[in-house]
Amino acid sequence: MYELFFKNMTEKVKLTRDQQQMIRQYLVPKKIRKNQYLLQEGDVAKYAAFVEKGALRAYSVDEKGTEHIIQFAFEGWTISDMYSYMTGEPATYNIDALEDSELVLLNKSAQEEILQRVPEYEEYIRLQLTGAFMSMQKRITSMLSLTLEERYIQLTQLYPSLVQRVPQRMIASYMGLTPETLSRVRRKIKERWE
Amino acid sequence: MRTKQTIAVLGATGKMGSAIAKSLSKGNYRILLFSRDNTKLGRLKRELRNAVPQADVVSVDCSYNACWEADVIIAAVPYSAEKEVADTIREVANQKIVISVANPVNNNGDALLTPLNTSAAEELQKLLPNSKVIKAFNTMFAADFNQPEIDGKQVDAFIAGNDDDALEIVRDLVQTAGFNPVIAGDLSLSRVLEHMQLLLIRLSIKHNYNRLAGWKILHH
Ligand SMILES: NC(=O)c1ccc[n+]([C@@H]2O[C@H](COP(=O)([O-])OP(=O)(O)OC[C@H]3O[C@@H](n4cnc5c(N)ncnc54)[C@H](OP(=O)(O)O)[C@@H]3O)[C@@H](O)[C@H]2O)c1
Repeated sequence: MYELFFKNMTEKVKLTRDQQQMIRQYLVPKKIRKNQYLLQEGDVAKYAAFVEKGALRAYSVDEKGTEHIIQFAFEGWTISDMYSYMTGEPATYNIDALEDSELVLLNKSAQEEILQRVPEYEEYIRLQLTGAFMSMQKRITSMLSLTLEERYIQLTQLYPSLVQRVPQRMIASYMGLTPETLSRVRRKIKERWE
Repeated sequence: MRTKQTIAVLGATGKMGSAIAKSLSKGNYRILLFSRDNTKLGRLKRELRNAVPQADVVSVDCSYNACWEADVIIAAVPYSAEKEVADTIREVANQKIVISVANPVNNNGDALLTPLNTSAAEELQKLLPNSKVIKAFNTMFAADFNQPEIDGKQVDAFIAGNDDDALEIVRDLVQTAGFNPVIAGDLSLSRVLEHMQLLLIRLSIKHNYNRLAGWKILHH
């Protein structure tokens, strides 16, 4: 139920069995089925969700009703509306499941307590945040300076199972493109390889 | 809250379980029904869908899986079954709200089985140390769910527990069910709430209330 959660953590920091047991007390195991919401815009994001199994996405909706996908999360990723989670303000993202999924939820006060009690966990969170910051920088840079083909290739490297598991229109939404433009990009890449 | 909460009802085909499931199916909830009796469960599900066509109600054939999927777990089972239920769901009920509905009334209906220094809810909390046990839905009769207003007054429904966020979530549930939620205090108040129901049961028998009776605090 928490296998991947602890596997990822113990790959980065050393944790004793007792420390793992202590952390476990705070975790919420949660199954969610395809198309169900973990969070809807306007509610406060109480949890950060680690994906043990399955796939989710976070998206916002503009005034015209168009969806903009902010993030995908597959096995080993964490997803939330971080702004809402940190500040307690209403969320601007919706988060729903793209597949039947198994999650490990952690709320902010529980996370604070673990941070107090397990110094190694603080180290782990620091590494996580650094990673998240770097990938955000990468995403911004790629948006501003890469060609569409380069961006698509980079995206499939970031999420290797993306193309198999996520409909093209969602990939297009993540890249800020229409599905037509995306299929043109894909065709170009294919032609180049042939 | 806009995000739909998922509620698992254990003992769903019982008098309380079915009344609670039916009344909550009108709200913005996804309801997972669990019973050991599949025939009864199928019948209940059809009945709920006929009564509330938009209801999001599914049956789950294993209480462990139902609770794994749930945000809130309602244990609408007899006091005597609480240990068995707790042992089954402990792992997946971690940090979740578990509502204790039980009144530990003896077979004659004239005394409680629990000593005075504890309650069914506190015993459940001991069995589920990492869950947020909340006492609710125990101070009324199952029949009241069809008619949460008696003699022109909305029946009060008392709630007790130790976690403020959990109390708020349960307050919404109680309100959706049609009752007037009253947060009584921490979980030890369950001792009082369970005794209140003992009194109501005894008065109901004595005065033939036909199990349609409830509490109302009068105040200015
Ligand atoms: N009736 C009332 O007016 C009322 C009012 C307030 C509080 N309560 C409390 O609510 C609870 C339920 O009462 P009720 O009147 O609804 O009783 P009920 O009609 O007999 O229903 C009890 C349910 O509990 C389930 N159950 C029994 N043993 C179990 C076990 N070992 N594991 C899992 N499930 C088990 C049964 O489920 P299966 O379908 O699987 O057999 C049954 O559906 C009791 O604790 C009672 O004190 C009742």
